[in-house]
Amino acid sequence: MLARSSQAFARAAATQRLAAAAPPNARNMATLRELELRLKSVRNIAKITKSMKMIASTKLAKAQRAMQAGKQYGDANSEVFNHTSTEEQPKRKLFIVVSSDKGLCGGIHSSVTKATRRAFAGEEQEAPDADSPIMVIGDKSKAQLSRVLGQNMVLTFNQIGRDIPTFADACGVADLIVKSDVKYDVVNIVYNKFVSALSYEAGVYVVMNEHGLKEAPGFKAYEMEDDVTKDLAEFSLANAIFAALVEGHACEQSSRRNAMDNASKNAGDMIDSLTLQYNRGRQAAITNELVDIITGASAL
Amino acid sequence: MSSATWRQFFSFNKYSQITARAVRQSLKETERAAAEKRGLTALRYQNWENGKGGEQVYLNPPETPVGKGTPAV
Repeated sequence: MLARSSQAFARAAATQRLAAAAPPNARNMATLRELELRLKSVRNIAKITKSMKMIASTKLAKAQRAMQAGKQYGDANSEVFNHTSTEEQPKRKLFIVVSSDKGLCGGIHSSVTKATRRAFAGEEQEAPDADSPIMVIGDKSKAQLSRVLGQNMVLTFNQIGRDIPTFADACGVADLIVKSDVKYDVVNIVYNKFVSALSYEAGVYVVMNEHGLKEAPGFKAYEMEDDVTKDLAEFSLANAIFAALVEGHACEQSSRRNAMDNASKNAGDMIDSLTLQYNRGRQAAITNELVDIITGASAL
Repeated sequence: MSSATWRQFFSFNKYSQITARAVRQSLKETERAAAEKRGLTALRYQNWENGKGGEQVYLNPPETPVGKGTPAV
C-alpha cells in the first residue's frame, strides 16, 4: 500500500547514493517495520478482546436469568435459618470459597480470596479456629488460597462454571462434603454478590449443620425426627451452594465483560497513538528522501 | 417413610439426584432434551493433605476418554 510503495521508492533512491547516507535511512525503516508489527499485533489483540466481550455479554444475559431463579433457593434457606438462630457462637467454621477456573475476568477470584483471609484474621467477626477447614470451588482461587491458607484446605473442586451451574453440581459438592466427614459447627459460603452489571462484592451465606438446627429453639418447637433433620441440613447446604454458584457465575460473566471492554478500549487507544507515530515516521522518511533527491538534483 | 433403607447407603442429596434422574428420563422427548441439560455435571475434586493436593477424581467419569488419543498414522 502507500507505506510499501514509499519504502520501495526510498530503497530505489538509496541505491543511487553513497553508502554513508544509507544507515540513518535504514534505521528509520527498521523503526517503521517495528511499529508496523506492533500495530498488527495490537489490532489482533483488540479483535480478540472485542469478541470475548461480545461472548461475555450474551452469556451474562443468560446467567442473570439463571441467577434470579437460583437465588430463590438461597433465600428460602435464609428464611428458615433466620428463625432458628442459636445463642452460642460457633467456633469451628467450614469455609466454602466459590469461584471459577477461568481467568481474564477482572478481580473476582482475589475478591473472594481476600474476603476469606479477612474472615480468618477476624476483622468483622470473631476469628474462627486456626485449623478451620477450607474447601475451594475453582482452580484460580485454589491457587491463591493454597499459598496463604494451604494447611487448612481439605477438598477442592473444579470443572464447575463452564456453563450455567446446575443443581446437580451443587448436590455433588454437598454430597462430597458430607461424605468427607469434616467436622464443623457452621458453614460459611464465601461468594461474589451481584450488585449490578458493573460491580460485585464478596458476600457470605451462613448454613447451620444438623446439630445447630436441632438445638435451635425455633426449630425444636416442631419436634422433627433426627433423620429428617439431617436431610434438611444436607439439602439446605446444597441449596446455599447452588445459590452461591449461580450468583458467582453471573458476577464472573459481568466482570469478564467489563474487563474485556476496558482491554478493548485500551487497545484502541494504543492503536491510535501507534498509528500517529507510524504516520509521522513514514512522512519523515519520505521528506528525508525528497530532501536528498532535491539537493542531489540541485548539485547536478 | 421413617424406616427407609436407602439411608445406610447414601445421603439425601444423592437420593434426590437419583429420583430427579428417573423423572428426567421419563419425560416426553421434547421436554427431555431441555431437562437433561439441567442434570449435567462434570465435577472433579481432589483431597488435600498438609497443603498438598491429591489426585483429581471425576465424580461421574466420562465414557469417552478425554484427550489422550493416538494419531491415525
